[in-house]
Amino acid sequence: MDEEANAGGLLSQFEQILESDPAIDEIGFVHPSQFVNLNEQARHSVPSSSGSVCNVLCSAEGNTMFWNRDHKLGISTEVLIPLYREAKHALMAANRTGIESEIMNHSRAALLISSDFGTAWHSRKIVLLKKHKLSTFLEELIFSVLVLSYAPKCEHAWSHRRWVIKSIAGKCSTLQEIVTKESELVEKIAERSKMNYRAWYHRCWLVSYMTTEQSLHELKRSRKWAGLHVADHSCFHYRRQLMLSILEDRCCKQENVSSSYSVKINQLWKEELDWDEMLIKRYIGREALWLHRRFLSLFWIKHFLTGHTGLPSHWKHKTSMNNDFGIFVDHELNLLQSCSIIPDNNFDDYQAQATYSATYMLWLIKQIPDSSGFEFREKLRTENLKALLNKACSEMSSTWDSLVAYAETSDHYAKES
Amino acid sequence: MVELAARKHVQFILSKAKEKNSYESVLMEHIRMNGHTGCQHDSGGFGGNIGHDPHILYTLSAVQVLALFNKVDVLDVEKVANYVAGLQNEDGSFSGDMWGEVDTRFSYIAICCLALLHHLDKINVEKAVDYILSCKNHDGGFGCTPGGESHAGQIFCCVGALAITGSLHRIDKDLLGWWLCERQVKSGGLNGRPEKLPDVCYSWWVLSSLIMIDRVHWIDKEKLVKFILDCQDIENGGISDRPDDACDAYHTYFGVAGLSLLEYPGVKPIDPAYALPVDVVNRIILGIKA
Repeated sequence: MDEEANAGGLLSQFEQILESDPAIDEIGFVHPSQFVNLNEQARHSVPSSSGSVCNVLCSAEGNTMFWNRDHKLGISTEVLIPLYREAKHALMAANRTGIESEIMNHSRAALLISSDFGTAWHSRKIVLLKKHKLSTFLEELIFSVLVLSYAPKCEHAWSHRRWVIKSIAGKCSTLQEIVTKESELVEKIAERSKMNYRAWYHRCWLVSYMTTEQSLHELKRSRKWAGLHVADHSCFHYRRQLMLSILEDRCCKQENVSSSYSVKINQLWKEELDWDEMLIKRYIGREALWLHRRFLSLFWIKHFLTGHTGLPSHWKHKTSMNNDFGIFVDHELNLLQSCSIIPDNNFDDYQAQATYSATYMLWLIKQIPDSSGFEFREKLRTENLKALLNKACSEMSSTWDSLVAYAETSDHYAKES
Repeated sequence: MVELAARKHVQFILSKAKEKNSYESVLMEHIRMNGHTGCQHDSGGFGGNIGHDPHILYTLSAVQVLALFNKVDVLDVEKVANYVAGLQNEDGSFSGDMWGEVDTRFSYIAICCLALLHHLDKINVEKAVDYILSCKNHDGGFGCTPGGESHAGQIFCCVGALAITGSLHRIDKDLLGWWLCERQVKSGGLNGRPEKLPDVCYSWWVLSSLIMIDRVHWIDKEKLVKFILDCQDIENGGISDRPDDACDAYHTYFGVAGLSLLEYPGVKPIDPAYALPVDVVNRIILGIKA
């Protein structure tokens, strides 16, 4: 096939498909051999409720180039290179003439083939700034979802969304609604693109645009997802950001707040600790759950002992404080006990569970201030933890030596700095 | 243990440079730098290729490549430095380009680039350092912006920037070392975040950070060497992310760089902060001729 001769029509054919079906919500690159299967499936399946038919566009040689059904567009991997080249040249030409509709059409085509083409994203931003219309900004949110459908980790697409939201914040009455929808989008994408750092970063970024009520709602809503994806550490980080923002909001905005608020935060933290423990016992050996516990305990301890979390100062003077602290420590020691049993058949998961529980204890030893930690250290000897670590994971003995030595030094950081 | 197939890897990289019509190379043309002068814009910044917009990322790449060949003097150094310095924001952070996305990666790039050009005086270093420190998490690690999840790549950037500016005393090295050493998994390889699979590229991001904060003895170096060597394609050259995967230039670079940090025999020493050979850094930063 003569690529160059054919290429002249490729871009306009592609743009026509996009124009004729604005509801396309998913794009994928398909190897020619897979089209046979797709056509086979299409023949046998009942037409969908929308009554949509399968649109196939072939080259002069009869090879499938584009395949569109139920608003899912498949593009043959064979046409990607000529199509990209043509779209890029057309975009560069349009950038020179400055014709807005052409810039938008050609950049769209180029970005649906190569999502990391930064200059094409920029061309769109320039047009958006010139037009200065809320509806055009909102359309970008729809367009970039289409890019994310085939490139869920695309940094440019996520960053473009943030740029749009920053541009319309303050001018748009539905911002809270948009933030909620963004959060839902991340969850949807995270479902099929596991441990997607870019997507979760975007969700954490949204927190600063949320009201306290929204943060509380998000915390509640993301719990089920987190429980079903216990290995996705990013989701737990997102929950931590929500919790910290709730904590901060309460402290800054309500100086003379009634203690009922404080009780509510206390309860929130307690519930998270209980929930995390339940997950730890249900899903054996999951690192993300133990790391989440380190965070929860760190703030729990700070709030009991030093009040550095910024909670109302009268909290520090609670008479039951030491008692509560003792109960907390005993509870964590029990957890260690139940998680450090390695069955004889030596399953990896149980070894991991024992390892994480022991490093969690080292973390606690390090985090509990010296004055209160004495009793705790008495109950929990580091040499026992070291023995447990070496039993559970002898491969990493050099790491355990270092961590135990570090945990044994008190106020190490203070001395060094 | 298998040995480093150095000659094969050289051939592998050379063959990659010749591939100009493959799917990857066409779609990645925005990061294939060729003909430096053609990539520079009036602003002083560099684009990834001719016709592509400037970005701080490609600007550092251009400076690094020229530094490697001792050709920085072909640049209008003042102009490039002004472009980079112009991307600093009020709070000390850096944007990647005129469109304003902020990331600690850009802080590193700006600081590294300006240090190589001897123009750190053009930015507010104190504010830049303060911003990086504001991105520190409770676990000792760093993210893209304040509150961003800790990630080994981001940590390298933050620690590297702090090392270049002489500010490492401002972080808790033990706490960060803890997070970093927990990236080593049983196979000896390193991952970049909790629960992820090991990947050769983290032999750079994690290892260089551990070296800069002087905690490299917290991991098992021998097992890491073995992991990297097991990721080689002995027959065709190249290093992959994990054993038996497909090789690429990216992982080949980080695999070799990791071995260099691990003092593997026959590999030139590399500087953990600048990611350039030590002799190049000595020549540029210290003015020592090889």
